[in-house]
Amino acid sequence: MKQTKMTLSQTTMNLDFVKRVEHLSGSSVRRCFQCGKCSAGCPMRSFMEHPPNRIVRLLQLGQFERVLAGRSIWYCASCETCTTRCPNKVDLAAIMDALRKLSWDADGPSKESYVQLANRLFIENIRSYGRQYEMRLAAVFNMKSGQFLKDFMLGPKLLTKGKLKMFHRKNRNLPEIEKIFSRIEELRSKDRD
Amino acid sequence: MSRIGVFVCHCGENISRTVDVEQVAQAAGALSGVAHACDYKYMCSDPGQNLLKKAVADHNLEGIVVAACSPRMHEKTFRKAAASAGVNPFLVEMANIREHCSWVHEDKAEATAKASDIVTMLVERVKKDKALAPITVPVTKRALVIGGGIAGIQAALDIADCGHQVVLVEREPSIGGHMAQLSETFPTLDCSQCIMTPKMVDVANHPNITLHTYSEIEQVDGYIGNFRITVRKKARSVDMGKCTGCGVCMAKCPQKKIPNNFDRNLGTRPAIYVPFPQAVPNTPVIDRENCTWFKTGKCGVCQKVCGPGAVDYTQEDELIVEPVGAIVVATGFELYSIAEKPKGSPIKGYGEFGHGNLPDVIDGMTFERLASASGPTGGKIQRPSDGKEPKQIVFVQCVGSRAREKGISYCSKICCMYTAKHTMLYKHKVHDGQAYVFFMDARTPGKGYDEFWRRAVEEEEAVYIRGMVSRLYQKNDKIVVMGSDISVGVQVEIEADLVVLATAVQARSGADSLAQKLGISYDGYNFYSEAHAKLRPVECATAGVYLAGACQGPKDIPDSVSQASAAAAKVMTLFARDELEREPIVAKVVDRYCVGCLACKKVCPYGAVEEKEIRDRQGTLLKVVAFVNPGVCGGCGTCQATCPSKSVELDGYTDEQIMAMIEAL
Repeated sequence: MKQTKMTLSQTTMNLDFVKRVEHLSGSSVRRCFQCGKCSAGCPMRSFMEHPPNRIVRLLQLGQFERVLAGRSIWYCASCETCTTRCPNKVDLAAIMDALRKLSWDADGPSKESYVQLANRLFIENIRSYGRQYEMRLAAVFNMKSGQFLKDFMLGPKLLTKGKLKMFHRKNRNLPEIEKIFSRIEELRSKDRD
Repeated sequence: MSRIGVFVCHCGENISRTVDVEQVAQAAGALSGVAHACDYKYMCSDPGQNLLKKAVADHNLEGIVVAACSPRMHEKTFRKAAASAGVNPFLVEMANIREHCSWVHEDKAEATAKASDIVTMLVERVKKDKALAPITVPVTKRALVIGGGIAGIQAALDIADCGHQVVLVEREPSIGGHMAQLSETFPTLDCSQCIMTPKMVDVANHPNITLHTYSEIEQVDGYIGNFRITVRKKARSVDMGKCTGCGVCMAKCPQKKIPNNFDRNLGTRPAIYVPFPQAVPNTPVIDRENCTWFKTGKCGVCQKVCGPGAVDYTQEDELIVEPVGAIVVATGFELYSIAEKPKGSPIKGYGEFGHGNLPDVIDGMTFERLASASGPTGGKIQRPSDGKEPKQIVFVQCVGSRAREKGISYCSKICCMYTAKHTMLYKHKVHDGQAYVFFMDARTPGKGYDEFWRRAVEEEEAVYIRGMVSRLYQKNDKIVVMGSDISVGVQVEIEADLVVLATAVQARSGADSLAQKLGISYDGYNFYSEAHAKLRPVECATAGVYLAGACQGPKDIPDSVSQASAAAAKVMTLFARDELEREPIVAKVVDRYCVGCLACKKVCPYGAVEEKEIRDRQGTLLKVVAFVNPGVCGGCGTCQATCPSKSVELDGYTDEQIMAMIEAL
């Protein structure tokens, strides 16, 4: 994303969002004094446009659009190196988790990110089949993301090795699976309030 | 003198790395008059000193040359060691083969030859040394403290509590200094007035303290233990003996529109005034520049309304001479203004911040007055332009400080902490407001300091933005702050209602002229210099003068108070003895040769040369000659070099000795 000028005021700083992140992650955002140790040890740093320390910094300034617009939170591997080494007890891995949750709910720009699309389709797939139906997942993902021929040539290889099935078999206990999903939804909606 | 001992030091490797010390010792042993020569790794250590003492006993030495470091470093050490072995300490000389030789040369052979030469010269000099006895001078057990801020007050109280008389001189009409202006103090948020004013009262009531307010140092004569200070007591126009401090004169004064300097010109005061209601002494002064009576000869209201008849327009400046034995300088600091041109800078102030022309861009001390319960707004945060409560407030640190181009390269030390405090005070008073701080580093090295700063960030929700502000400008009724957040890497813009600049701490204007009167040294920023940055941090190089507080460099209250107590302890150490021993390296005039031209009197930096009349038995005046007061003489030798008839000699550095040293080469 282009690094445009940041105008700070009580209206442009969404501190409510920050409070939700703090609530969800159970970690203070304000404690961070920007030493950069998290970014120094992050194995995914080179893929992120905002290194972990900058994510926290943007949160401190209530700039959640900037955070969610980027893909950094989706590149986070949750290895928790940052959390383990943080001198200020900022649980950055939990903050990243919280951000991913909030990104899912917010109509933020990252809704369009492939990572999130893949995640969503993956979950939907499980919900409707009770298990993973890879062939369908790959097909739907390629269609929805508009990359029709993505990884197409992998298909035959996987098929011959039996890693990919042409036809699926639904889980026998679908209603139980559905119960799990509705329970999660219920919890999440409570969390949001 | 034929029994001289030469001791050559390796100084670890400092000397032996470039000088063949054994060879130097050998060569010295062959010199005429040298009875013993040896070398050792650390002459200054305990075994080294014992070596010297043993050699004195074994070889019955009469003079000693230690070839080692600079006499400034260890001359005292070896003189003491020699004295304990029974040799007069002034028969010990240092041959400086470290600073003057090994440190500045690389070639070993040449350096060794030079070291030998230096030793030879000093052997010749020690042959002509005379045994001297230290000079004793009486000590006046009375101290002068210059400056009545927290440092001066603390030093005065400590010395006075010890039972010695103290003269406290303050330039302003009241003591209290900067601390009296503060609202609350970090890191505990104590009310400044609550901890300061009782001390001010203690000063006023202390039987051992003589307080001269509205006074300045006019002249300083004398030397350690025996200073004579001339104090100019400026005309107050109010008789301190008669005034009851009722305040009617101030209430009735028709001239009320004078900007109040104590409130950083936010409020106004009358022409007859006390700087603040808790002033000590609570006696008003007439500001003659703004008083109608003094300008036009008409008015006289204050005199008419004064019940006890204390107002006296005819009062004049008074000069008082105070004899004292020690001086504590505690003249404090001054804040830099963005409108002024700092010393040594090609640039005038901060044009990018509006040169001080934007009314809602204020400095830290002005914010203190806004936040102070006794301030012009009664503790309400109101911006100067329209009195509105600021909802967005921006603090900018390092204004002036750490800006080499502006002429100030040092860190002002107190701003990080007081800005953190300001954000807290602001949040406590304006709950729905937001404070932002632009900073480069948060420097919080003190007990409880970093925790205090983190509290401002984490609990009081001040938004700290790492990066400096490039420009401030007025846009409608807002001040636009153009900054950047370097941890995000983007420009930041804030439309602020009020901007507070943490401007640099500077030396007092006129600090240099006071230093010249006192004969103490000061640095390029006019801060007074201590004798040694680490080991003698409260003493000046000038004997008998001590430093306390921010006149030495930026300091916060705890540091100033510590230093003030330390300076007081030094004064008490001095006063613990009735007589003071001084080095007998002083100049002497040979009356027979002196023609009385008194050229020496003109050049003496210590004012030690006096005139002496020589009369015959009938009392007829034969001639006037120069006389050097040994108590005052600093032993610099300027008179010796100046004297046209060569009739002044400095003990230990006589012409004869210098010639002998040259001839030895």
